[in-house]
Amino acid sequence: MTCLDVREQFSALVDDALAPGERAALDAHLATCADCRRELQRFRDTVALVRAVAPVRAPAGFVERVLEAARPDPWYRRLVRGLFLPWPVKLPMEAAAIVLVAVGVAVVYRGTREIEPSARLDSIAPAVRQAPERAAPQALTPTPQRETDARRAQNDARKLKTAKDQTQAPEPPKGPAPAETIHKKAAETPERREKQEPEVAAKPDAPPSARERAMTREYARSRPAPAPGARADAQAPRSTPSVTGSSYAFTPADVSGRLTVSDRDAALRGVAELATRLGAVANRRVDTPDLQILELTVPRDAYDEFVRELARLGRWQPGREPSALPARVRVVLQITR
Amino acid sequence: MEGRSGDDAFLVDRLRRGDPRAFEDLVIAYQHRVFGVALRMLGNRAEAEELAQEVFLRVHRAIGEFRGDAKLSTWLYAIASRLCLNRLTSGERRVVRLGEETLAWLASREVGPAEELERTELETALHRAIAELSEERRIVVVLRDLEGLSYEEIAAALELELGTVRSRLHRARMDLRDKLERFLP
Repeated sequence: MTCLDVREQFSALVDDALAPGERAALDAHLATCADCRRELQRFRDTVALVRAVAPVRAPAGFVERVLEAARPDPWYRRLVRGLFLPWPVKLPMEAAAIVLVAVGVAVVYRGTREIEPSARLDSIAPAVRQAPERAAPQALTPTPQRETDARRAQNDARKLKTAKDQTQAPEPPKGPAPAETIHKKAAETPERREKQEPEVAAKPDAPPSARERAMTREYARSRPAPAPGARADAQAPRSTPSVTGSSYAFTPADVSGRLTVSDRDAALRGVAELATRLGAVANRRVDTPDLQILELTVPRDAYDEFVRELARLGRWQPGREPSALPARVRVVLQITR
Repeated sequence: MEGRSGDDAFLVDRLRRGDPRAFEDLVIAYQHRVFGVALRMLGNRAEAEELAQEVFLRVHRAIGEFRGDAKLSTWLYAIASRLCLNRLTSGERRVVRLGEETLAWLASREVGPAEELERTELETALHRAIAELSEERRIVVVLRDLEGLSYEEIAAALELELGTVRSRLHRARMDLRDKLERFLP
């Protein structure tokens, strides 16, 4: 038995885990080898040091925390876990929050409709009375008689300014504009309008309502309003299996064309800023998964610059562009990638 | 009653019968040992408490599966060891090495002022030496020299051959001897 063999057995020797034969051979070697005896002593001392390490104690309150963790969950937690955990795809909390907000908005909206008449009398009617009498009837087209909330009231002054511009224009718009139709509707009784409104909202190919127009104008001033766009998203595929143009949703425009861009959201923002700068008005917007359709009214004087700037935002391909333009050019943009 | 086999058999019987106080008695009896193994292996108190808690929760859920052919303590050590080794090899650990703070805490003992400094230095060196062992050697030393398990119990807890336990323990102690040389007489 070599020294190396003997030292390999030290651990078992210290633990008294050697078979009797192994132990006898080891003892015989140790009796004659001083180096191995010294090494064995160092080994014993090491093990003694390790075994002298103070025992660790669990932190205070450990037992209570374990018992608390082992306690069955109350029924409502089990219910929540039952609702969420078995699902192969968990419902993101953000999605749940969006649904809740959407329901809240719907409830508030329904409540608002009931106070429409009083809101109209309080805030909108004075603005209409201030409109100049010499203004042509069609010049008052944006008068938001169907708009009821405070935001629409704020828009009123801006729209009246637009009306004045139109009155001072050298020549009136050619042909019956969709705004005239809206104006006629605006002259109808409130009760009839309220009955008709849901139908208008439900039909994507109906002429744009004043409510939608106001909302898209709001979009032109800031970010796109998601609610009308979302509604169009939901309805467009049903009503237009293949979206190829804007005619299904808009009355004939003076100019229509396709704007091919890399980022549709950025392009929409660009168009909105452009419209604001040039005094154009965004009338309506329809979103589909493949394209966004935007209807604007651009002052004729600003039209050339509008088209130049449009070409900066993406590839502008006008499909229809008459040589003689009206004072207020109605432009329909199809924004695609 | 800590860990004695007669008490353990009674405790297991109570646990199986659903005695509401039995689980509490089990946690009280084994909390320090399970936490100690977790702390020695993981080197972080918060992580050790989390793991020790998980050990007891697993026992709570699986007491019906305990066959009783091993000691209750061996079963607990087996669960604790497996969870520690899994965590150490999972790559999900936030703390890999024993921090200085934990070393100091481990080394802190109530001793007289004269010997405090020397004692603390030795304790710190001891804990560091243990912490620096490889995981598979460290668990064997912890179970044998700190928790007092027999070779057979270690083999059962870690599902190893007796010869493997013996060999790893020897290598671990040789490593410790080298690391602690300056403290040896």
